[in-house]
Amino acid sequence: MKRLHLVTWLVAAVFVAACGSTGGGSTSTNSYSGKTIKLGAILSITGAGGVYGPQSRDGMNLAVKQINNSGGVNGAQIALTINDDASDKAQSAQVAQKLIQEEQDLALLGPTLSNSAVAVHPLAESLKTPILAVSTTGINIVPNCNTPSTVPCKYVFRDSLGEETAIPDDIKSYAADSHPATGVLLVAQDDKFSSDGGTIVQNTVGQYNIQLLKTIKFNKAEADLSPYVTQAVQLKPDVIFITSLGGIPAKIMTEARKQGWTGQFLGGNGFNTATVSKQAGAAGKGARSASAWYLGNNFASNADFVTAYKAEYNKDPDQFAAQGYAAIKILADAAKRANLTFSNLAGDRDKLRAAMETVNIQTPLGPFQFTSAHDVKQTVWVIAMDGQGGFTLVHQINAS
Amino acid sequence: MDFFVQLFTDPVAFWNSHTLLIAQIGINSIVASSMFIVLYSGQLSLAAPGFMAIGAYTSVLMDLYWHTPLALNIATGVLLAGVMGVLVGLPVLRLRGVFLAIATIGFIEALRLGVILNLPITGEGLGLKTIDSDPLNGIYLVLVCLAVVLFLVWRLTKGRLGAAWAAIRQDELAALSQGIHVARYKMIAFVLSAILAGFAGALEAHLQTFVDPGDQQYGVTRAVQVLSFAVLGGSGNFVGPVVGALVVTSLPWIFVQALNYINIVTGLFLIAVIVFRPQGIVGRGGLAIIRPWWWPRRNVRASSPG
Amino acid sequence: MDQQILNAIFIGSIYALFAVGYTLVFGVLDILNLAHSAVFMLGAAVTYSLVVNHGQAFWIACIVGIAVSAVMGLIIEYVCLRPLRRRKAPPIAALISTIGLALIIVAVIEQGQTGSLFSWLWVDGANSVAFPSGTFPNPTWHVGDLTLEAAKVAIIPISIVLMAVLGYVIRYTQVGRGLRAVAENPRAARLMGLDVDRMIALTLVISSALGGLAGILFGAALGDISPYIGRDNVEVRGLAVIVLGGMGSVPGAVVGGYLLGVIEVLALVALGSSARGGVAFAALFLMLVLRPQGLFGAQLRERI
Repeated sequence: MKRLHLVTWLVAAVFVAACGSTGGGSTSTNSYSGKTIKLGAILSITGAGGVYGPQSRDGMNLAVKQINNSGGVNGAQIALTINDDASDKAQSAQVAQKLIQEEQDLALLGPTLSNSAVAVHPLAESLKTPILAVSTTGINIVPNCNTPSTVPCKYVFRDSLGEETAIPDDIKSYAADSHPATGVLLVAQDDKFSSDGGTIVQNTVGQYNIQLLKTIKFNKAEADLSPYVTQAVQLKPDVIFITSLGGIPAKIMTEARKQGWTGQFLGGNGFNTATVSKQAGAAGKGARSASAWYLGNNFASNADFVTAYKAEYNKDPDQFAAQGYAAIKILADAAKRANLTFSNLAGDRDKLRAAMETVNIQTPLGPFQFTSAHDVKQTVWVIAMDGQGGFTLVHQINAS
Repeated sequence: MDFFVQLFTDPVAFWNSHTLLIAQIGINSIVASSMFIVLYSGQLSLAAPGFMAIGAYTSVLMDLYWHTPLALNIATGVLLAGVMGVLVGLPVLRLRGVFLAIATIGFIEALRLGVILNLPITGEGLGLKTIDSDPLNGIYLVLVCLAVVLFLVWRLTKGRLGAAWAAIRQDELAALSQGIHVARYKMIAFVLSAILAGFAGALEAHLQTFVDPGDQQYGVTRAVQVLSFAVLGGSGNFVGPVVGALVVTSLPWIFVQALNYINIVTGLFLIAVIVFRPQGIVGRGGLAIIRPWWWPRRNVRASSPG
Repeated sequence: MDQQILNAIFIGSIYALFAVGYTLVFGVLDILNLAHSAVFMLGAAVTYSLVVNHGQAFWIACIVGIAVSAVMGLIIEYVCLRPLRRRKAPPIAALISTIGLALIIVAVIEQGQTGSLFSWLWVDGANSVAFPSGTFPNPTWHVGDLTLEAAKVAIIPISIVLMAVLGYVIRYTQVGRGLRAVAENPRAARLMGLDVDRMIALTLVISSALGGLAGILFGAALGDISPYIGRDNVEVRGLAVIVLGGMGSVPGAVVGGYLLGVIEVLALVALGSSARGGVAFAALFLMLVLRPQGLFGAQLRERI
């Protein structure tokens, strides 16, 4: 009798174990079936940042479409809303409030501009909502979004290469190529991205024996930049550093060439989109910057991404599109592994956050993992505008 | 209309998912009360955003550098706003109507572009990050403060000050000839409104994660928004601007789909209200600064400000 | 430094042209038309849109842009001002009414995006755009150390001619006399048989046409057109100019405009760019407190 009981129990146990491992666990495919993963992106579709936002959006939408068409995330469909903040800090904060509280999105993406991130990231942090920045490259985005407080932000992540890496690489490579002696810095003092870039330039030039003759500050909303360009050109520097974004780089470059200056433009992330290259046109030919992505890179998933993007939108992707695409992939991967319940928003947001820290996937930006500071570490591509709306590759600097 | 559906069927859930909106309505109502006082005394002052900036920056700077408790920070902000109110009020109160409005615009822009943007300590163009801001729980503080403010304003308008202000608003010369010390009462109104605006600014800084010298925060755009609270709600009665603040602040949240067209709607409202119903939504007896064409001019007694 | 003076003169011309319209309305109607900066922006936006989105020639687009601005002046009169005059509302009401219209105009352009309700008018939303190079001839000359751009240089004669023509009209023509009569005393003017309403409409039309033209010049020469160019560049500076020059005084507006341009550039060179914005308003505030009638204005009348 006892032996029979034992055998029965053993068979039952094996049976249950077998069922358990194929059917009921929450990490198996289709456990989210019928659910929706709500994501909200805050992007600058219009305004100064409007030269970057649409590309981020296109990259994100492509990724969402691909994921949804191939079974979703464990069976759940991703519902992504794109929300325009018109490049305005206060509006960005308002949009974030709405997405977090009223829309009850699981996680947010963006905002496009570092300036807006100053308002949005601490808000997301205090409301315990994960937010993945896709194009903010300023200082203190991660992990110290609460600067000057030193409490690190646990809910803020970014997949966009910071200026702290990009600008020094850019300056270093140009210094090695051409040994400039003097430079002038033009910075929009009321824009965080530009201002941070300016600080980084100031801290870097000394190492490469470039003397910074003057730092010229202006306000980003000013239409008439000619007095500032005049001041710069009159000093006859070898290099003009432009750390601004939006329409400002093209304006400065066109004005400087008009005033007869023939030196080298060096810039930051603000240069890295085809729209800016086109706006600058011939005046911008040869202007260099460091980018987180290059069209012709040969990372594993890049070629497919480029082909799919071209098929969908009829144009080449750029760095911002690649970062937006990667961001959705990252969030999808984290969601997959996070055991979401879809019935406890606060709990789900926390789980997603934890899962994001262990993401390890292939993206068009290369193999992707967050650093312990929720930041990225990746290959840097030094590129130059080709005068016709595109870029050429100058150097590839691998992550150390 | 999901907004209203949720409001009436599940108030608790509505509260939880709209704390930020409600807090902002509270702050805007306090600023609207500030606007009420100056308009009630017949002065078109657009200086509220400037005093808000003073309250906000003072409070945040004290927190950043001296780590003093919140109550002290806000109190100091309010005090400084009041002092500035005296300093600005002294020279401008002789100006009338449009000139006062222009002078106050000059003040807020000079403060924003001239002072705040140039002082390194204020973070210049980048503004400051607040470190002890409490977006979630700040709402309780705001609502309590709002109740206190509304009570005070109500008592003031019922009393001697209110009567004097109403008289001044109707006709300054007549009030003067009745023995009312016009300059003093105008100054009191101006400084009180500065104090209230400073209070609102300091509270707002506590709710937000940043202070920023942008136009939408403390510039002409904000002044226009604050003015619209008073115009739409009506400033004949202290409740009017609060209602105006409630309506204008909530609009973008109610009409989420039409978010883009909010400003068009606001502009249309402003024109329609000022032409057809200048006493605003709430006002029963004529807007403080405008008498509708049909309002009989004889019936006003100085002792009933309604 | 000389280049900076040139910059000051260019931008000063635009301030002056804009302020002339502002002050004209104030002089004739005792009303501050705060929709003026929106009309400035509208002139530029319409012209740009015609050139880039509807493929018109630049000169035609300019004429249409000015015409649209003039029509907007009529709208300001009929929608914002006349109903209030009928109801005997004080000038403050007109101030608020024009603020409302300005909000609408800016919002309409802001919402002009591909696929929206207003895409026939403007498709670039809140973006800042510029006329593509080649839209109009814009050679650059180098004279010594100075760089002279044709578009910027052209602003000066255009503005001066217009302001001179306006001055002539006001002083020596019948229409101008009518305007001055209304400015002096509308009731008396009506009693004398003048059609006051028509004079007022004419004032708004002239003022708005000038404002729109100033916007077109701004957009063409400074390469910046967006829904916010009025608000950011001339809305409050225009106030500073007319206060400096004297509200209601056309020569005052002209002098005030150039004066402000020069003061700003000097402040920029001496104190850095941040001082540039604050200077205008410090000057405005001081002038109002010390000499409210401005440089050229008459003593303030009691009824204000």
